[in-house]
Amino acid sequence: MIRLWIAGLIRKQPGRLLVALGVAIAVALLASIGAFVAHAKATMTSRAIRSVAVDWQIQAQPGTNPDKLLQLVRTYPAVQSAAPVGFAQASGFTVTTGASTQVTGAGLVLGLPPGYRGTFPGEIRTLAGSGSGVLLAQQTGANLHAQPGTEVHIELANRLSATVTVNGIVDLPQANSLFQTVGAPSSAQPTAPPDNVLLLPYAQWRSITAPLAHSRPDLVTSQIHVRLHHSLPADPAAAYAQLIGTAHNLEARSVGSALVGNNLAAALDGARSDAAYAQVIFLFLGLPGVALAALLSATVAAAAAGARRREQALLRVRGAAQRQLLRLVAAEAALVGVLGCALGLGAAAIVGRITFGSARFGATTGSALLWAGLATAAGVVVTAGAVLIPARRDLREQTVAASRQEVPTPRTPMWARYGLDIAALIGAGLAFSATRSNGYQLVVAPEGVPTISISYWALAAPALLWIGAGLLIWRLADLLLGRGRRATSLLLRPLAGRIAPVLGSSMARRRRPLVRATALVGLAIAFAISTSAFNSTYRNQAEVDAQLTNGADVTVTEPPAADVGPGLAAQLAKIPGVNRVEPMLHRYAYVGSDLQDIYGVRPGSIRSVTAVLDSYFSGGTAAQLMHTLQTHPDAVLVSAETVRDYQLHPGDLLKLRLVNGRTHQQVTVPFHYAGIVAEFPTAPRDSFFVANSSYLAARTGSSAVGDFLINTGGQNVTSVAAGVRALVGTSATVTDLNSTRGAVGSSLTSVDLAGLTRVELAFALILAAASGALVLGLGLAERRRSLAIMSAVGARRRHLFAAIAGETTLVGVGGAVTGAVLGGFLAAMLVKVLTGVFDPPPTAVSVPWGYVAALALLFAGCLAAVVLGTLRVASRSVLDTIRRL
Amino acid sequence: MTTPAADRALVRCTDVGRTYGSGQSAVVAVYDVTCEVWPGDHIAIVGPSGSGKSTLLHLLAGLEVPTVGSLEWPGFGGQPRGPGSVGLVFQTPSLIPSMTVVENVELPLLFADADPEEARTRADEALALLDLRDLRDDLPQELSGGQAQRAVIARVLASGPRLILADEPTSKLDRANGAHVADVLVDVSVELGAALVIATHDPLVSGRLSDEWPMRDGRLSHLDVYDLPFPNPIERQ
Repeated sequence: MIRLWIAGLIRKQPGRLLVALGVAIAVALLASIGAFVAHAKATMTSRAIRSVAVDWQIQAQPGTNPDKLLQLVRTYPAVQSAAPVGFAQASGFTVTTGASTQVTGAGLVLGLPPGYRGTFPGEIRTLAGSGSGVLLAQQTGANLHAQPGTEVHIELANRLSATVTVNGIVDLPQANSLFQTVGAPSSAQPTAPPDNVLLLPYAQWRSITAPLAHSRPDLVTSQIHVRLHHSLPADPAAAYAQLIGTAHNLEARSVGSALVGNNLAAALDGARSDAAYAQVIFLFLGLPGVALAALLSATVAAAAAGARRREQALLRVRGAAQRQLLRLVAAEAALVGVLGCALGLGAAAIVGRITFGSARFGATTGSALLWAGLATAAGVVVTAGAVLIPARRDLREQTVAASRQEVPTPRTPMWARYGLDIAALIGAGLAFSATRSNGYQLVVAPEGVPTISISYWALAAPALLWIGAGLLIWRLADLLLGRGRRATSLLLRPLAGRIAPVLGSSMARRRRPLVRATALVGLAIAFAISTSAFNSTYRNQAEVDAQLTNGADVTVTEPPAADVGPGLAAQLAKIPGVNRVEPMLHRYAYVGSDLQDIYGVRPGSIRSVTAVLDSYFSGGTAAQLMHTLQTHPDAVLVSAETVRDYQLHPGDLLKLRLVNGRTHQQVTVPFHYAGIVAEFPTAPRDSFFVANSSYLAARTGSSAVGDFLINTGGQNVTSVAAGVRALVGTSATVTDLNSTRGAVGSSLTSVDLAGLTRVELAFALILAAASGALVLGLGLAERRRSLAIMSAVGARRRHLFAAIAGETTLVGVGGAVTGAVLGGFLAAMLVKVLTGVFDPPPTAVSVPWGYVAALALLFAGCLAAVVLGTLRVASRSVLDTIRRL
Repeated sequence: MTTPAADRALVRCTDVGRTYGSGQSAVVAVYDVTCEVWPGDHIAIVGPSGSGKSTLLHLLAGLEVPTVGSLEWPGFGGQPRGPGSVGLVFQTPSLIPSMTVVENVELPLLFADADPEEARTRADEALALLDLRDLRDDLPQELSGGQAQRAVIARVLASGPRLILADEPTSKLDRANGAHVADVLVDVSVELGAALVIATHDPLVSGRLSDEWPMRDGRLSHLDVYDLPFPNPIERQ
């Protein structure tokens, strides 16, 4: 019987199986985003691991035998290889060349065992000469004017000394971690690497420093550098927690003789908060889509529910038992579920292949299978919710007579009677203001602590807004179609003419599916708008971040000692592709004992070459504060920290000490505090000043330019940069936006968030189109009989068009307009709630007009297709339908 | 050449046939039918199920196009569309479920661009004639089978057609209701002065009509138009 039923369903009512499309969208979206997030997390972990040259630096504690400790470390299961490294403090280095002698200040002499560079290839980079033997760090080499073959005299404490011959000049890319203070508290400021470093073969280092170790053991320390087996969990947070635990375990085993500098955990520390953000973005942007697809399935199923109910009533009248009917419903649900899950997983694989070049979205097979399984489970739940449960409820609760009703009596749902929509909206507002007012942080990953906390409460505000607004759209549509049928008739009149009141009344009686369709269309459009606006804002801010770091499309940074005046700007402006050039002074100023950067800008024109946003300032907009600098040349913008530290108030006199360019002596320059600056192009993340360039140049006796900011209008950035390089040669550093963009992206952006957004935006379009076409189309298909009757009693094509188009337009436009409004609110809320994702925080939500236009066109196209398709089908099937009358 | 007398016929079929499909699977529903319907005719097309009654009715209504032969509507100026042309009654009550009885009845008038107030008045009058005034604001699903079929007839009455075509209008009704509906159809056609053609296999219905066209295997079994029980067209002049 079941086979017969299924065959009949496929042959006679294939429209009933369209529910599978909704299920497929839910499955595909969940599988895609899930696999993507798993891949993203794994990529973050592997990138963090790759970025570390030495996984652990284990410091031998005073009194410990380094050889014994090395033995212990080498036998530790997690350790792949370990090498001893000696550190000895030197009083200075000297190089004598003919009559000139170069002397440095204090420095460090390191001893490296053979094979060290092979084990830790990222730690040392050869710049000149040999890669082994005695190696001199680049800066030390520059200080001493040394090169391979130069003899360097090492001054140690207690008048100990040695002379070595330099074999090579090297760069130490990870100097910060190499010279870290192992065991320093996580809150401590990082120590600056030493200016002078000499690297010796371990045996040579030992022989030179042995007397020092004996007489001044405090000046000689031993470390063991470790490379670990990288069999870590894919999730950065789990990998971080495992590494912390492993390091503590080793420290415990060493009975206090070892202190682990956990470089690998430190690298994963940053990645884990990015991973948490990725997870949150997945929840915020992905789950509404899945929920929407589930709603779409339910709505499509509900469109066919009337036919199913009448069919069940017929079978009941003919003696079918409830159990048999349930079996038939279960068979239909199973067919829909299998079809939907198969289609969804197939679609996800295709999306993955198109977007990421891999059906698994780059995730491991295990992760991809896990997410495929989860998505399938979700598909089963969606199918059960959309088909099985409503059909079972109908079977149990509805009488045969009620089931045969073609126009169910519209009843006010319970949620509407109790005002759940309004309550949810109020709740959303309260939750939003609560999260905003409590110094809210979405992701908290305290340094050095394995646990990571994500404020899932932040989800409450958008979730309640989704629910409340969806229900409100329902209520408004119900009001308009029900009590506002006169208004509906008026709206229909241009299309329907004299039959408008009859059509309006008819729509009022059939309003349940229409209201459902309007709400679904509204939510689908809201999803598309909010997702695209969020993504667009994110992209914009990433661009702003890149521009903040680089300064402009192309930036020429003069070395500190250079004395290049603003005149170069005119030459730069002649390079093809250059729109404008803006010189910016860069000096250093003391405020109290703090040394800060100070930038001199031309307030009237700085904004024409680079983004200077309102969000960079407090106490006025960008335009207002630039105007202040213009009209009050001695005005200065100060960082919030300085304002707080020095208790500044607007208008306060601020005396800064700067170096005069002519006399090279410090001079005191009076400024007046005018506002707070948090970010500025090329400026560091910490404290700095922004002042008027003319005033700064006049007071420091020099108009030497620090940076030339070049605007290309975003076009031909690379070729303009090449032209600029050709002009300035090696005298200045030229950077461009394209290369900076890649460098400044966090691991969150670097794991191709663009790919995820493409997937999301495509799904949003599909959902909007499907909700418009499928739901309205199915609803109208259900009304084929009515349209045939209208045709038989004299309706002309224009009447049928009015009936179809009027309904479609009201539902489509009503849903789209309310959805667009909701989408705007949601985007604004998402941007605020997910503010931690943005750097710098955006001033306003960015609207992707291109996408919105594409969405509008696609949606209008779907509605037109529904109208014309239904009209065509209705016209063609009139006779067929009449034959059955 | 058409004679002036022939022009007054509402419908004229000459060697009309209707075949569905083609080749081996072709089904001939109507074959070689020649007939005419005149104002005031009361015709029952009788025959067993599958004999082609409904197809012939659809051909007469202009809903189907003949595959062979010629079909004309001289009495309607060529096409049986528009107000006052053909009224259709189907086997099942063909009311639009989401419209009230009165809305269903006034709908053909509105399609014919009648003034809405006038359409409502005429619908109410038709409903009153068929004793359905009290049910005017009910939905079709609230009516019994007989009431619904009467509402359909009220819709026909309101639009004032000159030809009423009914396809097994009583087949879904009990005997009493069926008889009542048949009476109503005849009364309405008389009231309107319209021709009435009913496809039926119910003798209770066919017995109420003056003429009977037996149909078998897609063919009308009357031999010649002049042998039929209704008057010779020439004599009608």
